[in-house]
Amino acid sequence: MDFNFNEEQQMVYDSTKKFFEKETSGTLLRELMEDDKGYSPEVWKKMAELGWMGLLFKEEYGGFEGSFLDFALILEGMGKSAMPSPFLSTVILTGLIIQDNGSEELKKEYLPKIAEGECISTLAFLGRKGLYSKSELELEAKQVNGGYRISGAASFVPYAHVADNILCAAKTTDSEGVTLFMLDGKAAGIETINLHSISGKGVDCLVNFRDVQATPAQIVGEAGKGWEYIEAQWPKVAVALSCECVGGMDRVMELALNHVNERIQFGKPLSALQVVQHMCVDMAMKLETSRHTAHYAAWQINEGLDCTKEAAIAKSWCGEAFKVVTKIGHQLTGGIGFSEEFDLFLYTRNAKKLELLFGDGSFQRAIVADNIGL
Amino acid sequence: MDFKFTEEQVQFREEVKEFVTTEKEKGIFPFGNNCWMHLSSMEFSKEVAKNGLIGIAWPKEHGGRGMGYVDRVIMLEEMFRAGAPVAYHFMADRQVAPGIIHFGSDFLKKEFLPKIRNAEVCFCLLFSEPDAGSDLANCRTTAVEEGDYYIVNGQKVWTSNGHIADYGWALVKTNLDPAVSRYNAFSEMVIDMKSPGVTVRPLINSAGAHSFNEVYFDNVKVPKEYLVGTKDNGFRQIMTNLDFERAGIERLMQNSLTLDSLKDYVKTNDKGGKPLSQDPLIRDSIAKLEIEFEVGKLFIYYVASLLDKGKIPSYEAAMGKTFCTLYEAKLADVATTLMGLPGLLMPGSPEAPCNGMACEDYLWSPSYTLQGGVVEVLKNIVAQRGLKLGRKKK
Repeated sequence: MDFNFNEEQQMVYDSTKKFFEKETSGTLLRELMEDDKGYSPEVWKKMAELGWMGLLFKEEYGGFEGSFLDFALILEGMGKSAMPSPFLSTVILTGLIIQDNGSEELKKEYLPKIAEGECISTLAFLGRKGLYSKSELELEAKQVNGGYRISGAASFVPYAHVADNILCAAKTTDSEGVTLFMLDGKAAGIETINLHSISGKGVDCLVNFRDVQATPAQIVGEAGKGWEYIEAQWPKVAVALSCECVGGMDRVMELALNHVNERIQFGKPLSALQVVQHMCVDMAMKLETSRHTAHYAAWQINEGLDCTKEAAIAKSWCGEAFKVVTKIGHQLTGGIGFSEEFDLFLYTRNAKKLELLFGDGSFQRAIVADNIGL
Repeated sequence: MDFKFTEEQVQFREEVKEFVTTEKEKGIFPFGNNCWMHLSSMEFSKEVAKNGLIGIAWPKEHGGRGMGYVDRVIMLEEMFRAGAPVAYHFMADRQVAPGIIHFGSDFLKKEFLPKIRNAEVCFCLLFSEPDAGSDLANCRTTAVEEGDYYIVNGQKVWTSNGHIADYGWALVKTNLDPAVSRYNAFSEMVIDMKSPGVTVRPLINSAGAHSFNEVYFDNVKVPKEYLVGTKDNGFRQIMTNLDFERAGIERLMQNSLTLDSLKDYVKTNDKGGKPLSQDPLIRDSIAKLEIEFEVGKLFIYYVASLLDKGKIPSYEAAMGKTFCTLYEAKLADVATTLMGLPGLLMPGSPEAPCNGMACEDYLWSPSYTLQGGVVEVLKNIVAQRGLKLGRKKK
């Protein structure tokens, strides 16, 4: 059993770290929260040049057939930098769904562009209550003249307003299931409304669909199987988000430890106080247990092993751990840590969001409860 | 990064599982919670020895199998999962033998390693004293040189299985010079518990069990050959032992049977015509325990992998023990809460589910976060050695 990075993984980890140290700044992150695009096209382009978008795709579609572990380490770096982008929604929530289920035509049309970073895409499948449940979908696709008309709404769609394509999950009226349609982001009838969320002004969107036309050729995989296709990606998404949490916790610990070592009160650094030391240890325990748990699940995905349970464990654990670490971080950094000038708030916001994305702790624990046969 | 067990390890786990199942089915050995602390059976330990499962991590030249710490975790995981009564040989296997191998003379190695390996002797640990718990260096038991012997006077406390043990693995003060630092004043030595002058008195714990003892030493003669390592270097020798003591899966699985009995209880008991296990809150609570167990288990394997790499897990072992023992205490608490009033029936009571396992566990549970290093002291270790906090700036 080896918990350490091998040479290649260390390289990916180090180069990701270097990249974000160069490309991220507190200023940029604060600007992006106000920015109506919600991401930096310049940084996106540079990520594409590094081949990050292409890592998980087959060579015949322009990808690198790389390791999911490497991908996970990149996500960890993203979490540590707090850099927002349509990376996950493009690569996993569209790209992998198409790679795993789409027709040759669809794969050839979209995957090379996605792999090159030339196509930004996102998945629209949540209703306005943000409930991760097939029954709460608010999109309907009616069969009309050999094609479809899609109406309804989807919310919390990341980057829908800048997306070249929107993969939308709609209940098809003729069959029992949910069907996935690969739509043009600016198709007639699509209206994107920016929501101002904890992540900023240009990330989450409410998307209204009014009789949006779609052809059978735009269906990904088989009609009626769309929800299963989304569910099949759930472990990968859960683990990717868990790794983002690990990266975020890493940075919060750095901020907190720096502070308690430097801040002098009562003639001593805060770090001389036992209570402060114990709070730091509590953060470290959350971080280290999260790290192993996320890496273990990422490794299982990489090995092609079934990891429904372990992915749920990782997401529930890391999602809640990151949040707790930011809370301890605030307690340790006091007033300074609470000011907008200090970077902690960026992570506090991310942590809260990541806690809930693709299922909060109780959602994941329900998966574990099912898995252990309760 | 590779979390795969080797084929040998997979086979080894099966080997241990089979052994444990066979022994359990005999129906003659006491299986249950707290098995490494409290369930002692020389006969069972002899079966363990016969099957080559004592000393697996010792070097081959000392009678071991030269296996690693990950292998040891695999073995103990399966033994604790079944609640196998390993107390007779556990302390000797876990830390006395490694201590003798690292620091002991050829005499001690020849005298004790084969006997430990064959489950012919039981060792207890003689560390804590009334004035020395977390502050172990505050020990007062002395060992004064007199000819070919050390004369030992003093008292030890919380001695698990002191009433069964043939020998004790003792920390004693051999340097009484007040100018010498406390940390350079102790030695480790083996003490024959049947020596004249040794008195063992039972201590009953909160759970009503006789597991601990007080051990009094009144001019006990200990042959000089029984000194372990270097005189006055005992404290440092013990410190290396402690990482092994803290790193094990016994810190996670002392009450692992309680989780099984809890899952069983909620599946076989109804409320309003539906099994309790269908209640979403109960499912969530049990899933929380399951998750914390899996997270803790992964961490234990991590610490074992560090040991196998030859690294000293000076703060990782402390972190692991903190995490895992807090989980153990939580398990006992949640189990009794979810089982409700029936969960408060004691072993032997009519109507007690799973023979009162949960209630008994709850009564043992305060000890999990105390024994072998209280959580708060362990956190100090993690803070100072791991996070480098509280060091004076130069």
